[in-house]
Amino acid sequence: MPTMSRFERRETDVLLTYADGSEFSVTYDDLRHSCPCAKCSPLRNEDEASKNLRRQVEALPKEKPKVRIVGNYALGFEWTQGCSSGIFRFERIWDLANRRDPDNGKPYVHGAW
Amino acid sequence: MSDSPVTTHDPNADDTPAEASPQEQKKMEQAYAQMKRKMSMEEIGKKIKHKIMVLSGKGGVGKSTVSTGLALSLAQQGLSVGILDIDITGPNVPKMMGLDGQRLHVESGRIHPAKGHLGVKVISMAFLLDSEDTPVVWRGPIKLGAIQQFIGDVEWGNLDYLIIDFPPGTSDEPLTVAQSLPDIDGMVIVTTPQEVALLDSRKSITFSESLKLPVLGVVENMSGYTISGKAPPGSEIEIAAPAGKTLKATANDAGEFSVTLDIFKKGGGKSTAEEFGVPFLGALPFDPGFVRGGDDGVHRIVSEPEGPSAVAFAAIVAALQEQIVDDPGAGLEII
Repeated sequence: MPTMSRFERRETDVLLTYADGSEFSVTYDDLRHSCPCAKCSPLRNEDEASKNLRRQVEALPKEKPKVRIVGNYALGFEWTQGCSSGIFRFERIWDLANRRDPDNGKPYVHGAW
Repeated sequence: MSDSPVTTHDPNADDTPAEASPQEQKKMEQAYAQMKRKMSMEEIGKKIKHKIMVLSGKGGVGKSTVSTGLALSLAQQGLSVGILDIDITGPNVPKMMGLDGQRLHVESGRIHPAKGHLGVKVISMAFLLDSEDTPVVWRGPIKLGAIQQFIGDVEWGNLDYLIIDFPPGTSDEPLTVAQSLPDIDGMVIVTTPQEVALLDSRKSITFSESLKLPVLGVVENMSGYTISGKAPPGSEIEIAAPAGKTLKATANDAGEFSVTLDIFKKGGGKSTAEEFGVPFLGALPFDPGFVRGGDDGVHRIVSEPEGPSAVAFAAIVAALQEQIVDDPGAGLEII
């Protein structure tokens, strides 16, 4: 995976530029639907719940998030509404950019609650 | 009295403020001490380059062993390191650092840490207890005050790394530290490979999301116990392993063999790290020398600086340092 060099927030999506010159866009809806936090992740396990999560995300106002860098491995996004908890590894964003399932088809199992 | 917004001053009037009652004076003193401590915490934050919290969801996984090991391994690199033992009710870092029975030095209202192996500075509740059998029975607010005092009133000096060792779980202590100490780099989660410990480690990882602190990585402790021995060269040895398994080894030409028993299973730390998308820093072997070293006050890294545990710690520290960046996001343009 090449290193991400630019993260340009546009009106409804983000334009990602990587060190090898490749560019991808990821919509904010896709980003928010794939939130890896312990609250959102289980909602993607079932088709219906996942669709419901998608509808909820799409109903949120379109806004540019605040971006914070987490360690040297991830990004976090802060939105005025909806979930801002997820820590997005660069690999996860790379999967989204390449239209791959960032969960790798694996259901989320957590022992957190 | 006119409606003019301008007030006049009568030089003959008695302007001496009414004397504060003892309660008011006490409140003012407390507020002043609190403010001074807050400023001191910010100052400390600047003097300490990197602050790392060591957590686990479950008790008994070797958090203090990992904390002391990380500190000593960093000190072996010539860095200046401190350990803050926040485990108020079960502090055992001083014993592991050869500082059993020591007292802290207080000067001009500032607490000076004790110095353990390799010059590592240590602050722990254990230094304040009359005997190691004395239990600390404190409710949350008193614990919180003690923690803030440990952060704000300690004269750490300039440090490259401060390792903060917590009691197990995700309660008051890490919350207080995360909210009091500025610019914490992140947390290291310690686990053992078995399922129960892993469940609790997952809690710690999701806890980091609530604190908005990065997980610098997961360390799997007690990962495997290696048995070595001698047998006639070329001979096959069978060893009864846990879960009814049999491990086989063949003695080499020098008649030496070794097998690793995965006493608490294997690889769970790595798979948890992968599941949560956080870095895996490495695995530490099950080393009875840690138990002996902990009891004798001579840490394994000190008694055997080239031994397998010291080597494993060095690898974990290298992985940890890769995760710590002096300038996060350098090279990434966010617009």
